[in-house]
Amino acid sequence: MESRIGVLICDCKGLVSDHVDTSRLAEEALNLEGVAFVGRMDVLCGEGDFRTALTNLMEEGCDRLLFAGCSPRSSLKFPEERIAAVLQGLGLHEEYFEVANIREQSAWQHPDYEAATAKAADLVRMAHARLKTAEPAPSPVPIVRKALVVGGGAAGLQTSKDLAAAGIEVTLAERNPWLGGRLCRLHKIFQSESWPSVCDGSCVGPVQAREAVIGSGIELLTSTDVTGVELENGGFTVTFQSKPAHVDPDLCISCHKCAEVCPEETDRRHGLGPDRRKAIDKEFERALPDVYSILPEICTMCGDCVPACPTDAIDLKAEGRLFTREYGAVFLATGSEAMEPPDYTEYRASFPDVVTSLEFERIIDGGLSRPSDGEEPEQVVFVQCAGSRAGPERSAEGVGYCSKTCCSITIKQVDRLLKSHPFVEPFVVYYKDIRTYERASEEQYQQLRIAGVEFISGELEDIRKDENGGLVLSVERLPEDEEDDEPDGAEPETIDLEAGLVVLAAAQTPSEGSSELYRLFGVEVDRYGYPIENQPRLFRPTESLVDRVYVIGASSGPKVIQQASEQGSAAAMRSLPALLRGSSETSKFAGRVNPELCIKCRICETVCPHGAMKMTPDGAVSDPAFCQSCGFCGAACPINAAELTNFTGEQILDQAKVAFEGLAPGEPKILALLCYWCSYSAADFAGIERSTAPANYRAIRIRCSSSVNTGLLMQMFRMGVDGILVAGCPEKSCHHLWGNFIADKRIEIAKNLMNQLGLDPARLRFEYIGAPMQAELLETLRKMDEKLRTLGPNPALAASGGRHGR
Amino acid sequence: MADKIKIAVSWAASCGGCDVSILDIEARLLDLAALADIVFWPVALDFKKSDFMALPPGSIDIGIFNGAVRLSEQEEYALAFRERCKVLIAFGSCACFGGIPGLANFSDKEGIFEEVYQTTASTENPDGTRPAAEHDAEGFKLTLPSFYDTVRSLEQVVDVDIFAPGCPPPVERVNDLVDAAARYAETGELPARGTYLALDKALCDVCPRNENRETHRIETISRPHEVKADPERCFLDQGLLCLGIATRGGCEATCIAANMPCRGCFGPVSSVLDPAAEAISAIGSIAGAADENYVPPHKMKKAVRSIKDPAGTFYRFTLPSGFLNRAVTDAPKEKP
Repeated sequence: MESRIGVLICDCKGLVSDHVDTSRLAEEALNLEGVAFVGRMDVLCGEGDFRTALTNLMEEGCDRLLFAGCSPRSSLKFPEERIAAVLQGLGLHEEYFEVANIREQSAWQHPDYEAATAKAADLVRMAHARLKTAEPAPSPVPIVRKALVVGGGAAGLQTSKDLAAAGIEVTLAERNPWLGGRLCRLHKIFQSESWPSVCDGSCVGPVQAREAVIGSGIELLTSTDVTGVELENGGFTVTFQSKPAHVDPDLCISCHKCAEVCPEETDRRHGLGPDRRKAIDKEFERALPDVYSILPEICTMCGDCVPACPTDAIDLKAEGRLFTREYGAVFLATGSEAMEPPDYTEYRASFPDVVTSLEFERIIDGGLSRPSDGEEPEQVVFVQCAGSRAGPERSAEGVGYCSKTCCSITIKQVDRLLKSHPFVEPFVVYYKDIRTYERASEEQYQQLRIAGVEFISGELEDIRKDENGGLVLSVERLPEDEEDDEPDGAEPETIDLEAGLVVLAAAQTPSEGSSELYRLFGVEVDRYGYPIENQPRLFRPTESLVDRVYVIGASSGPKVIQQASEQGSAAAMRSLPALLRGSSETSKFAGRVNPELCIKCRICETVCPHGAMKMTPDGAVSDPAFCQSCGFCGAACPINAAELTNFTGEQILDQAKVAFEGLAPGEPKILALLCYWCSYSAADFAGIERSTAPANYRAIRIRCSSSVNTGLLMQMFRMGVDGILVAGCPEKSCHHLWGNFIADKRIEIAKNLMNQLGLDPARLRFEYIGAPMQAELLETLRKMDEKLRTLGPNPALAASGGRHGR
Repeated sequence: MADKIKIAVSWAASCGGCDVSILDIEARLLDLAALADIVFWPVALDFKKSDFMALPPGSIDIGIFNGAVRLSEQEEYALAFRERCKVLIAFGSCACFGGIPGLANFSDKEGIFEEVYQTTASTENPDGTRPAAEHDAEGFKLTLPSFYDTVRSLEQVVDVDIFAPGCPPPVERVNDLVDAAARYAETGELPARGTYLALDKALCDVCPRNENRETHRIETISRPHEVKADPERCFLDQGLLCLGIATRGGCEATCIAANMPCRGCFGPVSSVLDPAAEAISAIGSIAGAADENYVPPHKMKKAVRSIKDPAGTFYRFTLPSGFLNRAVTDAPKEKP
């Protein structure tokens, strides 16, 4: 059936019609192909008005709506979301509408009535060119209502609990034999925010774990790693590798008889408890699940434990399992670990009494006996930023960022030390400033200062042993702030500090293997190995760039326990709409690949930041459930096999073709391809503040600035467009990670090509233009207009070219 | 068997390699000779222009035209071939897309003459003598074909029925052509108009290195002489610009087998709007490390800026078929 387009033009009570001849628009619209009805309304945004107008259209047999009026992006009364909702309510395809933005981008920014009308008519034609070939979005993709949580620490436990409470099937996979993560390594966990207080790890860790796994229906996979992931049909097919379960959790009663006979012993790596453990043992008494496990690194398989077990729970022949499951959402909660700062490796090897904050937790809980001789130290020196905030002006290597949690942890530890061991003297060496995390922590810090604890701003230069065998730290004093700067030429002062124990506040870094895990799920990582979150990060907490993959807790950056739990809850909430619905929504701009053309060059896969492209034996496939419609696949595809639905190359050229029909001959034709999020808004804002823009530019609201193939740009020149501006979000703010940069780079080569062909490269520009940067946008357009007037008509129009050009 | 068919072969702006590629089919030349009379083939047989021009319209079955059109005489031949041949084949990259001679479109007649007859180091031409289309020498009027500003592909001059790209077309494709000629002689059937004697898909699809393709960005772009290429890995993965991503397959990947990246002689697949602009779109999307959010602009653009000659690299065989068929002048108008 032929599509029938209904056009509704809104006068906006004069806000449009005082500046644009809307009756002329109506007349011209009637001549457009497939237009069955044109209505001109005084004002359309009252709920009843719009519904009535749409009902009228439907009675005329129209199935597509072209609305000419306010901006779909920036209108506060009548944005695209509202149009889509009403269309959907009336049973129409919500993809079947286009907006000609004749208010913000014409009536309000071109004072000349004729010019504004001519442009408005062009904008209607451009909207029509896109609308006539609009297609429905792909159907929603069914997903299994199952969630996978990787990592059973504070964040993972919280997510698991919350999802299970909402009725979602949850698998919780933990690499260790026990749950709790950092929760089980901290004795006193500070809470925010009102006053300094702590919770005890041996209490809350097991409680949190118990609530998550006992009676909740959560499937718990301990000693299990994720080894493979396929993103397919909107879901995640995950392969797990479980270590052999030598001890049957159903039979083990944690009686410790196996450990008593076990001849192998080692240092305990994790958890709360004594410092040594057996090869078969429980990592710590309060560990959940309540089952013993074997450390394969030291177990000799001697078999002594087997007869010792009263319940016959031990099977040394048990084998690991490799198995695969499907999920609809994934939560990565793999936590962080204390970095071993390169400069400190040597100290730690030579001096057992140099420990990390985490190790100190255990030492202070065990009565403050230091590792070397079990004696109580007379002084404890805490060294902040051990590996954090590394940079060119510091001698110590490490990571460039602040690990955020360490200062508060140190404050807590010093406070505890003062209270529990009043005769031990603490010193704190910090790098330039103490950065407490919360209000309560800052208060605690001030109290420690009042109590006389010495805080020394300085840089640790060296640790050595004095003649008595005690540790001495050389610390170069640093000015506390700018005002304290030493006079030029003054030697920085170096002081010696005696220490019975040194506590390094080591930097927090992503846990081992986590970057590889993120990559398995298609999640891009930053230079430190942390997962990159979706833009705008402000409003998409815990979302990675891959739909329904959430990065929570310290896995996405240093966090305190409480914040990790908050993230766990936030992520669970973010995922629930899709999980409860059992389907993933699709975009009207979903990517697709023509298998007849695809050559498996994998360039689309390389550029896709959202894990949506998948290679199959028949070529690349774009998964509509993962596609976030950036359009990189289409623009990067060397043979145009990939494209976005409702944003095809042909549609863009169709729009460009009619964009300047109303422009007076001789006026430079400027096409502004403005990105969906930022730059198009800037053009709206210019109208909203009633700034004047050159009336000879026309904007196409493209997807990301990198969504338009360079081939299309050159084709536009060939069609006679005099100048093209491509604009994207400001640097480091692209909604698709790197689209603006890629567009900038591609355009740089294209300008070089144009230069070689004798076409002035000034005809093509890329700019980073954020939503509130309308001044920059207008300045750019004015400069282009001026330059293009000097250059004259684009010679590409007159040239012949193309394979069939004669 | 039906009567022998008639075949004519031209030679326009090309190096002669295409003619040699026909000879490369060796024994199959005998098959060709058995099914066809060759009525014109300047490089191989002794016919004069007047012999060819004397042939009546439509009298030749298959015309094999190699070379681009840069001279008036070549244009004349193109028109004459079209008029006389029932089927016209653009043979080789020059006829199909303009080829290497098409790179002259960065300049024009005056620019080329100035370079060739004046400014090269070995030229001494104090009188500024130039070739002329007509010259009066002691009462005799001598003529030369005129030299056009712009090199054109055959299709830009006359309608073409079949395209046989390649620089030169490989033996396998020439054999396909002989097969097609044999079928035509037998049954009168021909491949559909516009057929390419090549694959519809780009070379990557059949490239032996495709299965090793990785999905990382190209951090540094190198030129073939700057690195020793791994013979197994995809060239793009090694930072070497390979045009197999958009160039028709069918060349038997001989360059790839010789450890050289594809230079695009089979021309773009039909879905490509412009060979250079689209290569820029693809290569530009993956050039440079994925660290843009951390580095200053000049570092971010280092890789793309190392592509010094995009037109020469991506239009090596196709400039006359580009969105602009030649370099244009976009000089600012005189200031009033």
